Amino acid sequence: MSDASISPHARSGSLYWAIQARRNIGVRGLFVVVLAFMVAYGFLFHGLFTGSGFAKFTQSWFPLALVAMAQVILMLTGGISLAIGALVSLGAVIAATTMTGPLGVAGGTALVCLVGLGIGAATGVIVVRLRLPAIVVTLAGSFIIAGAALLVLPRPGGAMPPWLSDLLAGNTPAAFGVLVVVVLLWKLYLATPLGLSLYAAGENPVGAYRSGVPVDAARIAAYAISGLLCTGAGLFVAAQTGSGDPIIGNSFTLNSIAAAVLGGIGFLGGQGTMRGALAGSLLLSLMISVMFFLGFTPVAQYVAQGLIIIGAVAIPQFRMRAR
Amino acid sequence: MASSVPILAARGVSKAFFGNPVLRSVSISLEPGRVHALLGENGAGKSTLINLLSGALRPDSGTIEIDGKAVSRHSPPEARRAGIAVVQQELSLTNSLSIAENIGLGAYPRRFGLVDYPALAARAKAACDLVGLHEPLSTPVGELSLGRRQMVEIAKALYRKPRVLILDEPTSSLSATETRILTTLLEKLRSEGIAILYISHRLDEVMQLCQHVTVLKDGICTADRPLEGVNAAGLVRLMVGRDPGDLFPRWDSTRTERVAVSVSRFAAGLMRDVDLEVRAGEVVGIGGLVGQGQEDLLLGLYGAIPAKAASAVIHDAAGLPANVPQANTRGLAYVPADRKREGLHLIHPIVTNLMLPAFARMPALKLRSRARERETAMGLALQFAIKGDLGRAAQALSGGNQQKVALAKWMPLDPAVLLLNDPTRGVDVETKREIYAMLRAFAAAGKAVVLLSSDTPELVHLCDRVAVVREGRVITLLERGELSEEAIVAAAMGAEPERAAA
Repeated sequence: MSDASISPHARSGSLYWAIQARRNIGVRGLFVVVLAFMVAYGFLFHGLFTGSGFAKFTQSWFPLALVAMAQVILMLTGGISLAIGALVSLGAVIAATTMTGPLGVAGGTALVCLVGLGIGAATGVIVVRLRLPAIVVTLAGSFIIAGAALLVLPRPGGAMPPWLSDLLAGNTPAAFGVLVVVVLLWKLYLATPLGLSLYAAGENPVGAYRSGVPVDAARIAAYAISGLLCTGAGLFVAAQTGSGDPIIGNSFTLNSIAAAVLGGIGFLGGQGTMRGALAGSLLLSLMISVMFFLGFTPVAQYVAQGLIIIGAVAIPQFRMRAR
Repeated sequence: MASSVPILAARGVSKAFFGNPVLRSVSISLEPGRVHALLGENGAGKSTLINLLSGALRPDSGTIEIDGKAVSRHSPPEARRAGIAVVQQELSLTNSLSIAENIGLGAYPRRFGLVDYPALAARAKAACDLVGLHEPLSTPVGELSLGRRQMVEIAKALYRKPRVLILDEPTSSLSATETRILTTLLEKLRSEGIAILYISHRLDEVMQLCQHVTVLKDGICTADRPLEGVNAAGLVRLMVGRDPGDLFPRWDSTRTERVAVSVSRFAAGLMRDVDLEVRAGEVVGIGGLVGQGQEDLLLGLYGAIPAKAASAVIHDAAGLPANVPQANTRGLAYVPADRKREGLHLIHPIVTNLMLPAFARMPALKLRSRARERETAMGLALQFAIKGDLGRAAQALSGGNQQKVALAKWMPLDPAVLLLNDPTRGVDVETKREIYAMLRAFAAAGKAVVLLSSDTPELVHLCDRVAVVREGRVITLLERGELSEEAIVAAAMGAEPERAAA
């Protein structure tokens, strides 16, 4: 391409970083928009740059970031999940019913993670091995999982250890720290052959299969990781509210898709980057906060949110057609 | 002939799809240090043979041998382990990954369970240098031109250090420079003892590069010999020639002086600079290898894709139709090749399918007259010998009858120009005969017929004239007197000088 001269033949050791730099090109515009919203928010809410303001803001963003990642992993494989909200709820009620019981925090966390991984992997096996459409399987799954959450905790209740709520949702930036760790783990996964195969398996499954990529394994692993992220988000939401609520996750399903779309993830598989999706979820959270501070009524907020999402999909399309 | 043991061989393999034999007892052996050409017309069975050799398909009978030993369960992973690499026509690349990540895909070097990027960079660079790819390895493949992507695909095959390299039309999207690099590379690989199977429609390349040739015709091997002492015309003769029997109706000229379609400097899709005139009462064939732009020519005339022309007259009116309804009102009808996706609405009743073009012309809110529709449909079914209850879904019909429905539905409009895209593809012999007779009858009734076909005998026996398309241009317009399978195939493959000499 024409800008090849900018990065002369990379030294072999720097190939990884050169590729990473290339991936930023598609999301630069988005980063600028996010920065603009961040500045606007900083003006409206001067507390953003204090310790507790930053902590509060990242805490409101954190669960959305996790479910956006959960959705994007599936979208990269050419799938989608409508069960995200139900899994968040299930994670929340499991956490709220086990952590103050005999299992303790460690046991409860382990159970939340296992349930997420297990349900995710089972969904993946059904979608991939039986070749059923992901949208239908996860829609059906969302009913079953939501039912399971109601069985665990029929009405809001349960309890979280106060120290955990204070740690994750108090005045410390612990949530942001956890997010950084999650993102680093994702980078690590993407540097494994199985993780990198995600893109090939989503965009060109036949070609990937012919090249010797374990396409099915890569896709099932993606579903399992996605499930884990969802129940993890549920644990955090339970810590935020100090209790469990079997329908608390409902709004996350569509918000996760909205964040992915804002982040430039395509529905056909293999298109987009996780950094884009994270920026998309951040943008969505900022939008909600900014509109709140500007005094938008909830109805106006939803309308504005919808228009911005349509715009986010339309602009790249128009740009592509103009080329 | 060298008597070295072939690395990869097929012995008497046969393969049939849904009862249609595609390969019948074909043998081929790929020996080290030899570039082996595989030639054949569209549908001769080349792709099937490649798929058998690469393990993607299993033969119905016959064996695949690696290093002289028969393998019982040949599969793609097995083939990869044996060092067989295939460069397919459809690319196996991922646009969002970089060149290096694509080249190593499925065989990444690892360190501590992670992709070893420094090692990948070194090995991918070595493969890229071989094919002359100098773009940074971090470039996403989606940013490359089709020709460069083809080179990445070849580099990907070389990265695996193959013993057998199968290339399916590698040069179809390459520039002259890239083709030259590839030719030099293949010479070098050959001297290193790699066995190469080379499929190409460019006979000059084959003559220059290959030592041995296998020719397929209708699934049968018609030649398996060294290339020495064969010329291009001789190869063409081995590929064509089929006994037409009494499949085709008698050909009488029904051509009139009235111009039905006349375009000059026409361009649409892949097609450029087309000058074409079709008279009422004649059948004009469009021939050539698959995918050279022929379909764009029909779609452009039909207003289905954007088209331009310096001047155009269609059915006594100037200008090209801007869209499909306009084309229909001006007397054009188009029958697509893919009748299942484009030609018919399979789950709807036959009668609905037959009436669709008529619906398009009715005022949008006028009430339908079921009785009149049924009557028209019955008339069409009778005229076209469409068998069966018209109330059934179109998918219940055989391929041949479906094609007849796709054709018949236009008749109530009485089109002056019929644009037919491969109307006999996947159609049984009996229906073929009926369709051929219909085409000549249309012409006799004063309609102009443009027949795009991948079946060369069809063009020879039905058409008044045949335009042969290659790389988006009409390169020859053969008159009735000059029509022969040899002439069409030779023109399609760019072997004109030999044709003149023969």
